[in-house]
Amino acid sequence: MTYRLLPLRFDRINDNEVFICNEVGEFLFVPVNDFNMLVKQQLTPENPSFLDLKAKQFLTDTELEPVIEMLATKYRTRKSFLDKFTALHMVVPTLKCNSNCKYCQVSRKDVTAKGFSMNKTMARKIVDLIFKSPSPYIKIEFQGGEPLLEFGLIKYIIERAEWVNLFKKKELEFVICTNLTLMTNKMLRYLKGHKVYISTSLDGPKDLHNMNRPLQNDSNSYDKVIDKIRLCRKVLGHDSVSALMTTSRYNLNRLNDAVDEYLKQGFNSIFLRSLNPYGFAKRDGQSIAYKIDEFISEYKKALDYIIDINLRGTYFVEEFASLLLTRILTPFSTGFVDMQSPVGVAISGVIYNYDGNVYVSDEARMLASTGDKKFLMGNVNEKSYAELFDSEFLHSLLSKSCLECLPECSWCAYQNFCGADPVRNYSEQRDIIGNRTTSEECKRNKEIMKFLLDLIKNGDQQIQKVFWSWITRHPLSLEKEEPCEGSIR
Amino acid sequence: MKVLSGSPVNISDDIIGKIAHRYGIFSNKRDLIYTTAERSIPKGFAAVITNNSKEHISASDDNYLSIVCNVRGIDGLSDGDVVCVNPSGSITILFKKGAVGNALFVTERCNCSCIMCPQPPVSKEIDKTELNLKILSLIDKGTPMLGLTGGEPTLLGDSFIKILQGCKTYLPKTEINLLSNGIAFANMDFAEKICAVRHPNLTIDIPLYADTDTEHNKIVRANAFFKVVQGLYNLALLRQRIGIRIVIMKQNRNRLKAIAELIYRNFPFVVHIAFMQMEIMGLAKENINNLWVDPYDYAQDLGAAVTYLAMRDMNVSIYNAQLCILPKSIRAFAKQSISTWKNIYIDECADCKLREELCKSYKRLSSYLIKAIKCGII
Repeated sequence: MTYRLLPLRFDRINDNEVFICNEVGEFLFVPVNDFNMLVKQQLTPENPSFLDLKAKQFLTDTELEPVIEMLATKYRTRKSFLDKFTALHMVVPTLKCNSNCKYCQVSRKDVTAKGFSMNKTMARKIVDLIFKSPSPYIKIEFQGGEPLLEFGLIKYIIERAEWVNLFKKKELEFVICTNLTLMTNKMLRYLKGHKVYISTSLDGPKDLHNMNRPLQNDSNSYDKVIDKIRLCRKVLGHDSVSALMTTSRYNLNRLNDAVDEYLKQGFNSIFLRSLNPYGFAKRDGQSIAYKIDEFISEYKKALDYIIDINLRGTYFVEEFASLLLTRILTPFSTGFVDMQSPVGVAISGVIYNYDGNVYVSDEARMLASTGDKKFLMGNVNEKSYAELFDSEFLHSLLSKSCLECLPECSWCAYQNFCGADPVRNYSEQRDIIGNRTTSEECKRNKEIMKFLLDLIKNGDQQIQKVFWSWITRHPLSLEKEEPCEGSIR
Repeated sequence: MKVLSGSPVNISDDIIGKIAHRYGIFSNKRDLIYTTAERSIPKGFAAVITNNSKEHISASDDNYLSIVCNVRGIDGLSDGDVVCVNPSGSITILFKKGAVGNALFVTERCNCSCIMCPQPPVSKEIDKTELNLKILSLIDKGTPMLGLTGGEPTLLGDSFIKILQGCKTYLPKTEINLLSNGIAFANMDFAEKICAVRHPNLTIDIPLYADTDTEHNKIVRANAFFKVVQGLYNLALLRQRIGIRIVIMKQNRNRLKAIAELIYRNFPFVVHIAFMQMEIMGLAKENINNLWVDPYDYAQDLGAAVTYLAMRDMNVSIYNAQLCILPKSIRAFAKQSISTWKNIYIDECADCKLREELCKSYKRLSSYLIKAIKCGII
């Protein structure tokens, strides 16, 4: 034996080339002949692929232990999102909402409904529980319903959290996820004094947004949202507001219009999200849903469009691509709760419902709203922090959500860039472990990853620059100013 | 290092001191080497340097005064320079005030034997730690940067720690740039000792010549690669600022981008990466046939490697390169990096308009002159 093969996964992407990737996300495209020789122990050091394979630790022809040490170091870096435990704490002050979104995933209640808001005793208990998390960063995110309908409670939670944090000294910030229509100047002046960011929804230009997201008493929510985005930026600063879009049947074929709308409103990024199959979205699936293949092909078109916008000189990020690119091209760990291995449920993000029920994720709460409390961790009135977060249930759930040991995922060449989603698996396939061959999410992720990898391999240098400007989060001007322009002839 | 010489009088041992052309009543004369063109020589100094001959000076009645007479070029000595005067009458400038690239040669021993080493190591030497500490105490406090180099400085072990402490004590504001082959830091205890000095402005620059152990080890002619890797990890754990240097030669010119990839994927914590054109000195000169690659020929590969790192927000530079042969897109990464005494322009550059900016070259070696410059491509 001339060399030792180290762990790798592979995908024969076409007749000529094999994509190979290892446990830490280093990858190579290898000519198929070289690959065959590699696995048969026939590759010689003179082969042009040999040094590349060796430098990326796919093989070693000398020492083994220090190579494992290098892999281990990178593995720790890759998994460092696990170090800090739960940082994202979502709180649902109320289920009441003034919107009437077509795809509502949480089954909201009317504005006048009684008994769907949190009380102060509960809020206080939840804040105290949140600060039991060992994470040095705490982000409290208000979800709904429409949280602004219970602004008094938001103020109470913010102030209580700030008070507790005087002693805990963690990095604390707040996010309000709101349709913004009820935002007032007075509220904003209050929020300005605290570390609060605004996350709103914008599904596209006026007709699309109004189609997806009408209010209960007004079919034109668009004008209000745009108006309030401006107001927020005026009071809190331009970067304090971010927006999310959801793709329904109506805007699926018009993603470019959505991108244009985001540009027009001064956003420098968009997250092209496919629909989550929960709540009303699931119930009304027939009218607003679509096949994942349709989404994938529209997404690719929109991504090309966005790349083109960047190439023409405007910095504009597509967030899902940016996340995947960071995983593909950097050695670092990324904090995206919904797509981790092990999954981020409870250990990265957790949600506290208005009634004190704690769920492993927002999707788990959505599932519960349809009557299935499979992912309920317990109630804050009944269980302690340890009982909630160190339960048999959670241990079992997490151990079933490591891609490294899930069928199909465990040998998937793209595993390192992906993540598990037991809640989604359960919701779609009635099985936490799930079956990848029929999983829509698997198909979407894999297709988009392959699309990006192809651009990385075959796209020109300019596209690489665009990708890196997304990863590094700053407009890229590689042509540094020349010290001697003009002086050379 | 620049060396002057003259005829020694009363010099029995190396004398280290700081050049002074004038003095006041508060001057610590025992640290000063008085430099003068006058005939009368005052007393009390560590030594005196003069261009006059012994017969023409009127030393006061001090028979033990150390003097170097007949020195040519005393104009090259300025106040604040630190020199060593030795019994044979040679004057070595150890520190040139205001110059770029001042460095302390901590030891001449080394545990590598790089095929292109510009300053080939010796196997035995007398310990110079006390001397070096003396030099440190004399160096101008306002010096922005000082190198610690060798040889392999860490071979001194605890004595090296003393020198590092000396840097911190005598030159608290000076940025210290340690050039080490990195092997010693694989020993965590030693790495901890270095970091325990808590020097506020220390950067350790470590060379990495290849992306695989076999190739790197062939170049340094020692079993070093994985020790260097471990050393980098240890220093990173201790939050020490680290830089990586890559000297470009025939052996690695095809792997520049692969080396960049290795660094980004495995050592993204380094604060600086420098690609360096090879100096044709010492062993490099002896082995030149085995090493030489025309910088013009690898300029595009260098461009790819530099762009690769810059895109990733890594702080990358090119050292020792002639600006004119670099692709325009990476010229901004070139740095004035050569010690002043090595920065010599070749004849072909005499009329170059870039000259004042960055165009520079090592001492001319006619047979290895970079062809792009010679044939006037630019």
